[in-house]
Amino acid sequence: MTRSLLSLGLLLFASCAGVVSAQTLEDLRNDGKNTDNVLTYGMGYHLNRYSALDQINKATVKRLVPVWSLSLDNRWGEQAQPLVYNGVMYVTNARWTVAIDVATGKQIWRTEVDWLPETPRVVCCGVSNKGPALYNGKVFRTTLDAFVVALDQKTGKQLWKSKAADWTEGYSMTVAPLVANGVLLTGISGAEFGIRGFIDGWDPDTGRHLWRRYTTAAPGEPGGDTWGPGDAYKHGGASTWITGSYDPDLDLVYWGTGNAGPWNPEPRPGDNLYVASILAIRPKTGELVWHYQATPNDPYDYDACWELILGDLKIDGGNRKVVMQLNRNGFLYVLDRANGKLLSAKPFEKVTWATHVDMTTGRPVESELGQKVRAGEWIEKWPGTRGAKNWPHAAFNPNTGLLYANTMHAARMYRFLPVEPFKAGQRYMFMEAKDPENRPADLPVGHVDALDPVTAQPRWRMPLQDFAHWGALLATGGGLLFTGKMTGEFLAIDADTGKLLWQFKTGSGINAQPITWTLNGKQYVTVLSGLGGLGEIVNRQKLGNVPQGGSVWTFALLD
Amino acid sequence: MDVRPAGLTKRLLYLGGALALYGASVAAQGTDRRFEPEQISKGAALFARNCAPCHGPRMVDPQSAFDLRKFPPDEKTRFVNVLTRGKNAMPPLGGLFGPDEIDALWAYVVAGEKR
Ligand code: HEC
Repeated sequence: MTRSLLSLGLLLFASCAGVVSAQTLEDLRNDGKNTDNVLTYGMGYHLNRYSALDQINKATVKRLVPVWSLSLDNRWGEQAQPLVYNGVMYVTNARWTVAIDVATGKQIWRTEVDWLPETPRVVCCGVSNKGPALYNGKVFRTTLDAFVVALDQKTGKQLWKSKAADWTEGYSMTVAPLVANGVLLTGISGAEFGIRGFIDGWDPDTGRHLWRRYTTAAPGEPGGDTWGPGDAYKHGGASTWITGSYDPDLDLVYWGTGNAGPWNPEPRPGDNLYVASILAIRPKTGELVWHYQATPNDPYDYDACWELILGDLKIDGGNRKVVMQLNRNGFLYVLDRANGKLLSAKPFEKVTWATHVDMTTGRPVESELGQKVRAGEWIEKWPGTRGAKNWPHAAFNPNTGLLYANTMHAARMYRFLPVEPFKAGQRYMFMEAKDPENRPADLPVGHVDALDPVTAQPRWRMPLQDFAHWGALLATGGGLLFTGKMTGEFLAIDADTGKLLWQFKTGSGINAQPITWTLNGKQYVTVLSGLGGLGEIVNRQKLGNVPQGGSVWTFALLD
Repeated sequence: MDVRPAGLTKRLLYLGGALALYGASVAAQGTDRRFEPEQISKGAALFARNCAPCHGPRMVDPQSAFDLRKFPPDEKTRFVNVLTRGKNAMPPLGGLFGPDEIDALWAYVVAGEKR
């Protein structure tokens, strides 16, 4: 009640202030305060994926029912996080941008994304799109064939379209854009195809290209001497396929970089800056302010792309403004986000590729596996090639100070193959991987974990026996976590115990990102269903009875 | 793109060939004489680079997208079609390869891991 009155007040205030028709930078910065809107990827620049809403809680969740569903007419997977503004929900997938009336679930408009049918050949891990960005009356998105597009929020009409890269060279885009300090930022995919990674800055009004920050350093640049002789940096990977976070006070964007290319490091001796790194950049210029490399020389496909969660933590008695990452390589990194100083790096899953992270140098201490694999031997490595955690985003509850994550518990047998010359559009990896033969049948394939960020110790673990979760987590003030299964069940979990409290079976598999929002004072939860992504590819045979096909599902309490 | 016309003629040619060869392969009790060893090893290298990431090293991996060892050896048309057009999460990769490379991939898938 208080909440609805409060939001009513906010709404009135907002309409008086005349900012209802277009979201400002101030609105983006305050995302989460007005719960009628979800304006940013990650439900806030901090990527906490946390909402204080508590109408749907441990006691009431049993009354949670679907209130509407809309087909997305899409057989490619649904991985996106929807955004909500002024009663309209914006959803993207590889094929469409869709605007939906949140009250009725009716489609208001949809605009097709056009790419040549052969484009998916440069997409390693599922044709999809992670979501839109909203700013100043426009919807921004990326396209599979590496364009950035702006649409009119009211009509869906295309306002501009700018080319980031040539898809036939292995470049593709699935990333959700970020608007920070008036600049539209986008990343790039393709580190399995020998790309040179970058982050781009665009003028949101016109689509004019403002700057490019390459994520592999060329000779003569700082870090340019970490690639050995030759021009390995030109195909060195370091893709940027997950949206960064933003601290408006420091005016720093935090963006992670992906694996090195090729996976076999033979042509690229050295640390290979800035692969598998966390970058802090100025959104206006792309200037690199600090960096931290998690996996120097990355021979293991250990992206550092994953969400860079901002929070305030008590460390050694002091309050620290930190950036946190559950890295693919199995370590949970906590850094001072003002200067990049490493504060903590503890394993949150089984790790055999390194013994620990040396806190004085900030570097991982590689185990004997590093030498063996570089010598061409088969090794069994933990985490496996999909990582201790893949992209499905974690949530952070600033009140409990806990991270909630869908993690993976798997090793891979792994060895390198001879490196061949770069060929545009062909794979640039040169390795092979398979499952270990001795894996116990009852070993969980993954968990939902509640983790202390500094110790990386779990408060609780919810073991998963059939499939690891390939969708993001959402945490709420109702003491709940929302996420979904590849088999289609949408789940509500008790955030204090890890107990499953509620589930509902959607039409296809869930590998997307739930959100929660309000309308007229009532709390809603939305998630996309539609099997896709890497989780589909690696489980294709086991998921034979889970049909493809995208849809939006919105839930509320039965009155 | 420019593979398609060549692929089409090949497909038609193959249809005749397949019928003739069907008898031959039955007679040879599984040993496949259709392919030269060089063609198979060329296909093996292309496969390891471009297909194994999803189909497993040498087509073996429980997490494989599709167990290609079970692909019917008398359905080359289907193989070429899938490669050209894609199917669900299988990308249309045909345009990356010349006709001889597609033949080499086919040779490897049919005969490369039979010992
Ligand atoms: C991005 C992952 C990926 C790559 C790379 C890939 N495939 Fe596939 N492939 C799949 C998936 C997924 C399926 C299952 C499709 C389905 O039936 O849903 C499949 C199925 C197939 C099929 C059987 C389709 C049918 O008729 O049912 C063939 C043949 C095939 N792939 C050949 C290849 C070859 C040859 C290559 C390398 C040139 C390759 N694939 C590379 C993912 C991949």
